[in-house]
Formats: sequence, C-alpha cells, structure tokens
Amino acid sequence: MIDVQNVTKSYGAFEAVKDVSFTVEQGEILGFLGPNGAGKTTMMKMITCYMPPTDGTITVDGLNVLTESMGVRKKIGYLPESTPLYEEMGVRDYLNFIADVRKVNGADRTRAMDRVISVTGLSKVIHKDIHELSKGYRQRVGFAQAIIHDPEILVLDEPTTGLDPNQIIEIRNLIRELGESKTVIFSTHIMQEVQATSDRVLIIDQGKIAAQGTAQELKASIAGQMHLDMVLRNADKSKFIEVVNSIEQIHLEDIKLQKNGDIEAALKVDAGTDLREQLFDLAVSNKWKILESSPSSFTLEDVFRKLTN
Amino acid sequence: MSEILAIYRKEMKTYFNSPIAFIVISSFLVITNWLFFDYGDYPFFAINIADIRGIFDYGAIVLLFIAPAVSMRLISEEKHQDTLELLVTMPITDMQIILGKYLSTLVIFAIILGGTLIAPISISFVGDLDSGIVISSYIGFFFLGATYLAMGLAASSFTRNQIVAYIMGIVIIAVFFLMNGMANGSGFIATLFENLSIRFHYQNFFRGVLDSRDLLYFISLIFVSLLVSSTALASRKSK
Repeated sequence: MIDVQNVTKSYGAFEAVKDVSFTVEQGEILGFLGPNGAGKTTMMKMITCYMPPTDGTITVDGLNVLTESMGVRKKIGYLPESTPLYEEMGVRDYLNFIADVRKVNGADRTRAMDRVISVTGLSKVIHKDIHELSKGYRQRVGFAQAIIHDPEILVLDEPTTGLDPNQIIEIRNLIRELGESKTVIFSTHIMQEVQATSDRVLIIDQGKIAAQGTAQELKASIAGQMHLDMVLRNADKSKFIEVVNSIEQIHLEDIKLQKNGDIEAALKVDAGTDLREQLFDLAVSNKWKILESSPSSFTLEDVFRKLTN
Repeated sequence: MSEILAIYRKEMKTYFNSPIAFIVISSFLVITNWLFFDYGDYPFFAINIADIRGIFDYGAIVLLFIAPAVSMRLISEEKHQDTLELLVTMPITDMQIILGKYLSTLVIFAIILGGTLIAPISISFVGDLDSGIVISSYIGFFFLGATYLAMGLAASSFTRNQIVAYIMGIVIIAVFFLMNGMANGSGFIATLFENLSIRFHYQNFFRGVLDSRDLLYFISLIFVSLLVSSTALASRKSK
C-alpha cells in the first residue's frame, strides 16, 4: 500500500532521514517509534505530500507522491502533530469546510458527518467553537477531520501526545478500531503505545531504521536475556571486574562505587543461563557480601533504549 | 473550481463571524467620506461642484492602510495556527488556495465599493455628474483595490506574523504607488518609474477614458502578486 524506497531528506547540510526503505501492507497498523527528532515527522510529511524527498521514491497505492500528488492526497487522511484547527470556527463548520475541500457533498456529506461524529464521540461538543474545547476533544476533532472522506490510509503524527491516561486509551482504541478497515501509520515515542496498537513496529533513530518487525519479533531478539542488579560489600572493584569478565555469559553494563565502599553493578546475563549459584560461590570465595541481587527481564523499552541510545 | 469556492466560503465566514469585516468596511467609508465632504482646502461642501474625484483620491490613500488589514491574516494566520500543513496536504493546489482567499477579499472590497456609491447617488440628485467619468473612475478604483489586496496577500504569504504582513503590505503598496515621484526628468529611468507607478495609471481613469495599457498594468500586478503568493506556499517543496 505504501512503498518507501531509499528515501533521504536533507534540510541544508542536515540529513533528517537517511536512505530509509520500508513498505506498509494494506490493512496493516504500523507504529513508528523513535525519540524526538528521529525523523518520524519528516517521514510522514513526505508520505502525505507536504514536502518531497531529496532522494528516493515514495508510492502510495502505486501513485508517486511527486508526480501523482493529488491522487495520493485523496487516499490519505492526515493528522499532523500540531493538531491544526481553526480556533474561531465551530466544530461543525470546521468539519463542513474539510468535507467541502475534499468534495464530500450532498447525502454523502450527511452520512459522513454522522459517521465521524459517532466514531470520534463529538456529539456533545458539535455546537461549540473549537477554541472552547479541551485538549482531548481537540484531538478528536483532528481525528474526525482525517477520516471524514473515509480514506484508505491514515497517517497520524503522535496522536496521543499531551492527553491524559484515559484519553490516551480512548485514542488507542480508536486507532485499533480504524485499523480494522484501514492502513494506518502512526508515530509515537511511547513504547507501550506501539505494543498496544500496532501490528508492526518500525524503530527509527537519527534518520535511520534501527529495527523493524512485530512487537513479538523484537522482543524475541532479546528473549531470555536478563538484567541483574547487584550490590556488594567488602569487594574490590578491579577484582570484581576481573571476575565478571572471566565468565562468558555475563556482561558488565555499569559499575559504581558507593560512598561507603559498596559496589553497585548492573549486569546483563545471556539467555538460557542461570548463574545465581555460581555468583554466590564466587562471592563467598572472595569474601564479598551480597547485599542485593535483583534479576529482571528485558522489555521492549530496553530494545528501544539499546537501539536509540 | 469547487475547491476555490470552499476556501472562499471559509474565509467569508471568518470575516463575518469576527468584527474584521465590519471594522474594515465601516472605517474605510467613514474616513473617506469625511475627507471628501468636509476636509482640506477644497471640501465638497465649500467648492460646490458636482465632482466626486475626491472620493477616489482620498480613497486610494485610505485604502493603502485598509487593504493590507483585510489581507494580512490570509496566509500568515494559517502558518501561525499550523493549519497550512493540513490545507496543502488536501487535494487542492496552492493556486486554488490563493485564488479562494483572494476572491473573498475582492468581495469585501466590492461591499466597500457599494458603500461609496452613497456619494455619487446623493450628488446626482442635486447636481450634474458626468456618468462616464464616474463609471471609469469606479473601474479604476476597483482595479486599484484589487491590486492592493493581491499585494497584501503576497506579503501575508511570507510570514507567520500578521503585524509583519500588515506593515510589509503597506510598504510594498506604497512603493508602487509613489514610484513616479522617485525619479525626475524625462530620461529612461524617470519614464520607467512613472510607467511602473500605480498613481500614474490610476489617474488616467479620472479622464473618463479606459486605456487598455492601464488595465493591463493593474492586471499584470495582480497576476504577479498571486503568482508570488503561490510560489511562497510552494517553498516547502524545495528538495
């Protein structure tokens, strides 16, 4: 449905997106994950024909965004990051205006209005002016605007930013609901969001794709790996490092010397190994005292942090 | 065409849902009529001649300050509210956006023009107005206003700040209006400046003659201004 091939976008000397390629299948919900400034918004602005790629090609349902821009725009519903609304307009006037430009007229217009008002839950505020609305309702008006022409593709740039937890869940449900019949690309910098809503995740960092796959696949890449946080007393730092490095399955991630001389160490343990007994024996033989030892499994957050630093 | 009208309807709603249209129209009419009937060395009531040229002389100056006030918000507000991004990603061309917005300002100006008819209509009851001159003057005044508005729109398309758009609009219009005073004599530069100036072409309409060169001059200025506006919108498309 959406095919991005070797796309680069530069602003002067700065490359916001570097040689990125990916495809989105029809009916798929793709989560775009990355830290702020990773190039997510730039990528979306190119797909929605706001600006052209410096290099590479993007096609939407076979239409090139550069040469068949009008056709592409008709297929896409876009909710930009800033949720653009005309403050002085009424909600109904605003949606009518969008329907007007998008040529949704007559009986179709009436049906479309009823549909988007019920899907986005706007009936309570439909007679209000936009500047009177809360952030959550503003976001819903933005959604309503994006789906009024019943587009095949939805592009949503950070649709849950600035909302409270209840509103976030509502918007996620909305994305899932719309994703049943549409192709959806949405961006976020929140890990649980992609886990909760998308079929596939694309992690983007510094303009490049750092990883892609389903949430399960990404998790599987680190399956079984464990964190082990330890605090030791009476231990010598250099000796401890030496001992840890001598065990193949353990990787030292961080070590700190506390004020009272205790050692605080963060270890990563490879999958399929349980070294707790071995570590206990090592501590005893070196006369270290284990004050704390807390294992924890890797999460998608860790994948994200690892990939994007 | 329906896209242009969609933009036009939205702009008209904005003008009339807020006090902008009312303030702009009424202040132009009050100031211009006051200047014409009751101000300066030759106010209408003192000279006792059935001539309404004063409306268009004073009107050209008053409009210099009013027209950019009408057009200043057109693009800069869209930029400021980030709605431009939404607008230009819908199936509508940049030029259609510009034309829809421009059309709405022309209609505001047409209302202003209608309001100035009070003077010629009332005067025609008490004196003998040359209707040919009145008509050609009105045509000239229409093209003058249409040019001001197009220039104001161009100014608005370069900034996200309405005040900047307003001042820029006034400066651009003033430069073109006063250009004939910038060089003296009969040399090439002086002739060029004279032919490029709004005032030079505007004055010809008061003789009761419609010269295609004057019409062409105003139409070209409008065309170039709209093209500049649309090009400014397209600047996002640079690779």
